[in-house]
Amino acid sequence: MSEHEFTLTFALAAPDADMDALVERLGEAGCDDAVVGVGRRGWLALGFTRQAEGAARAVGSAIADVRRAVPDATLIEAAPDLVGLSDVAALLRVTRQNARKLVVDCDALAPPPVHEGRPTLWRLAKLLGWLRSEKGYAVSEELIELAGITMQINLAIGSRDADAAAQREIIALLS
Amino acid sequence: MSRRRHPDRHIEKALRYAESHGWRIELLSAHAHGWGKMYCAHNDLDCRCGEFCITVIWGTPRSSENHARQLRRVVDGCVGGSDVPDEDEA
Repeated sequence: MSEHEFTLTFALAAPDADMDALVERLGEAGCDDAVVGVGRRGWLALGFTRQAEGAARAVGSAIADVRRAVPDATLIEAAPDLVGLSDVAALLRVTRQNARKLVVDCDALAPPPVHEGRPTLWRLAKLLGWLRSEKGYAVSEELIELAGITMQINLAIGSRDADAAAQREIIALLS
Repeated sequence: MSRRRHPDRHIEKALRYAESHGWRIELLSAHAHGWGKMYCAHNDLDCRCGEFCITVIWGTPRSSENHARQLRRVVDGCVGGSDVPDEDEA
């Protein structure tokens, strides 16, 4: 079994919840392999280092554990998925200049970012897949699997706001 | 140092590292899992730690080495730790 590192951020239904009691429930529910952040009122962040057979089981069991402790919490983001150059550098354990060279200043066309601005953001799963297939870069299978799962989770979270009729029209427009 | 030491030496070292970067540590009493909390010295909207501006310290985490590493990483991710602006904005 290998270790998977990912962060889950939740919104709390009751922003004035007793956080110390909530932390005890998280410990009880088996979230003691996560570093827990309670610094923003109404939010809860857990940075997991979870041992499991595969990234899907690691992330799935972590979400289930948190929901057991805090049933009315809403998952709002899974990371790593949307990444800037500094995140890419940290994940690949290269310097930021090297990350820029790999992704921005290169001949082969990198996957387009999902947001251009400050900071510019890419989807990690897309970047890793491209780095491996087009650039021959050694990327761990586990990290690719993890990034694929966090991407699917965030897409599901985003689709909570989707309007079915509007989506059909837009998809027709884009295809 | 006036506070109680953490029973695990890896975590205690991480807590001293946090304190050397201006973090304040408060102990939780009468809790089975949470040993204490550490507070970022630069708790404001510009801070990069976000939710981790207040971070829970477990008493007996699944792996104390991993927990110590997680706590150090929170400290290293804090914008207050250096004067370097967010590099992604450059």
